[in-house]
Amino acid sequence: MSKKWKVFFSGLAVIALVLIPACTHKKTQVNDHPPVAVDTTPTVPVVVTTAPTPVETNKDFVKTDTEAAVTEAPLPTNLEDLNRVAQERGFIRDAFFGYDESALSADAQSALSASAKWLSGDGRAYNLLVEGHCDERGTEQYNLALGDKRANIVKEYLQTLGVDASRIRTVSYGEERPFDPGHDESAWAKNRRGHLVIVGK
Amino acid sequence: MKIIRIVLILMLSASAFAQTQITTTIGANQAVNVTRVAIPFPDLAAGIDAQQMNQAFFGPLARDVAASGVFAIAPLPPNVPVTNDLLKRINALAAVRLTIRQEGQDFIVTARMTDTADTELYGRQYRGPVTALTKTAHLIADAMVRAINGKPGVFLSQIAFASSRDGVWEIYLMDWDGGNQRRITYHNALSILPSWSPDNERMVYTSFARGTSDMYIINRRGGGRIRIHTALALNTSATFSPVGNDIAFVGSTNGNPDIYLIKDDGSNLRRLTTSTSIESTPEWSPNGRQISFTSGRSGSPQIYIMDAEGTNVRRLSFEGEWNDDATWSPDGEQIAFTSRVNGRFQIRVANSGTGDSRILAGEGSNEQPSWSPDGHWIAFQSNRSGRWEIYRMRADGTDLQQLTFDGENKEPDWSKKLE
Repeated sequence: MSKKWKVFFSGLAVIALVLIPACTHKKTQVNDHPPVAVDTTPTVPVVVTTAPTPVETNKDFVKTDTEAAVTEAPLPTNLEDLNRVAQERGFIRDAFFGYDESALSADAQSALSASAKWLSGDGRAYNLLVEGHCDERGTEQYNLALGDKRANIVKEYLQTLGVDASRIRTVSYGEERPFDPGHDESAWAKNRRGHLVIVGK
Repeated sequence: MKIIRIVLILMLSASAFAQTQITTTIGANQAVNVTRVAIPFPDLAAGIDAQQMNQAFFGPLARDVAASGVFAIAPLPPNVPVTNDLLKRINALAAVRLTIRQEGQDFIVTARMTDTADTELYGRQYRGPVTALTKTAHLIADAMVRAINGKPGVFLSQIAFASSRDGVWEIYLMDWDGGNQRRITYHNALSILPSWSPDNERMVYTSFARGTSDMYIINRRGGGRIRIHTALALNTSATFSPVGNDIAFVGSTNGNPDIYLIKDDGSNLRRLTTSTSIESTPEWSPNGRQISFTSGRSGSPQIYIMDAEGTNVRRLSFEGEWNDDATWSPDGEQIAFTSRVNGRFQIRVANSGTGDSRILAGEGSNEQPSWSPDGHWIAFQSNRSGRWEIYRMRADGTDLQQLTFDGENKEPDWSKKLE
């Protein structure tokens, strides 16, 4: 290795030594939420007394850590995007049912608990539509009634978890709007559900 | 199906001749007590297109007559005058002679049915534009049946159904033979489960036009639409009483679907069932005194019958793991319903008194039966072709015919009154 390279790498190492604690420090800031973390840093003791505003710290952070910036992003205002994002991040989760069943399984209950938590917290401003869906193995007319029962069981459970009934509407689509058009158990399982839809504030 | 296709080819290929040889689609089991009738191809005035007359008029007429259960068509030899001697030789008891001429835009069709002694059994003249030719054919077939047994035929009846052919499910109508298919509703929202009024003037159905399911009434030409407000959820499976102005339907409060009645002006809501299980799919007996419905109270969907006041409930179906869509034959003696047998839905026909039943087996899943107003036919939906289409068969399961081909089609409801 040439002398030039040695100088270059030791230079890199120095930069790294300086940067690594800085990075770690900033990550801590985000997780614990500033500004307290700023006070503990030994590299910038002066700052403690001058007390920089948390806004400045956040600005600095957003520039260097894009992953964290996304979680801080506000929810989309467009209802379609909002529902996609809320489902993706598990803020609201659908309840799935057994064949010809309208009782909530343990999985369905935990999905609805997570949903109720969000609806009582960050999502407390939103109203909800619960759609009852069925698989194609039943008959259309009976399934419309079954979907109504499913949607209302979901509504009732969300209510017992603290979501106000006036925020929840229900509708049954029976087997008219399957999520998966397939004709096997994996499709049917997806189509038996109480589907949670955010319908605005 | 095969026979019908052959008949069509024969008719088309022979249509250039003054007389057309046609065979009958009447099966061996219907061949008893039918009148053999000869129907030569119409005498056409100069300038009238034989091909067009065959397609719009003679074909539908011959198919109606062949399917009537009252007539069998006696094949005629080609290019021979239809004399009484010829009729006797081919064992025909009657002949129908048709002429078509034109006056301006109108076609004038005369029909005359005589027996072999030249006694007139029926004769009439019809006038209308080219678009009315097929209806004229149905009118003539209807009058022919009436002349023989005093009752009208089924050929003017209409079948309401839901179709997704234009993208969203909407309500459509068609003639009894699948002709003249036309759209009635324009909600641009899921609209399903049409059901005729007893006078054939209106239909009640369910639409999700407001984001939730509501009951609507519309007249048969698509006008006069009203929404029946109930303050209940669902508002599905609505059906007019054959007497009076009640509508039976499925309503729900807090996830408890039950059978309700309401007047067709939205007044006088009454609840007929109070079980905590699912109740759905009400249907009136033809005299309006009883209502069949589906209930999950036994653990699986089964057919029950109650008095129209909600009392005197009894269970009808004990076979099949999932039964629904019950509908009464016009004489009230039989109830057809959808019944799952070995994992597939089939049309089952049960005696409404004893519950004894038989399966009218078919390929694929077969659901939502509806009786023709003369009780001889059952329309239903099947996915045997890979998608939902509407079919028609005799009440004994024979003479199957597919009626729809455009998009997906389901929930046939045959008009109630013979006219």
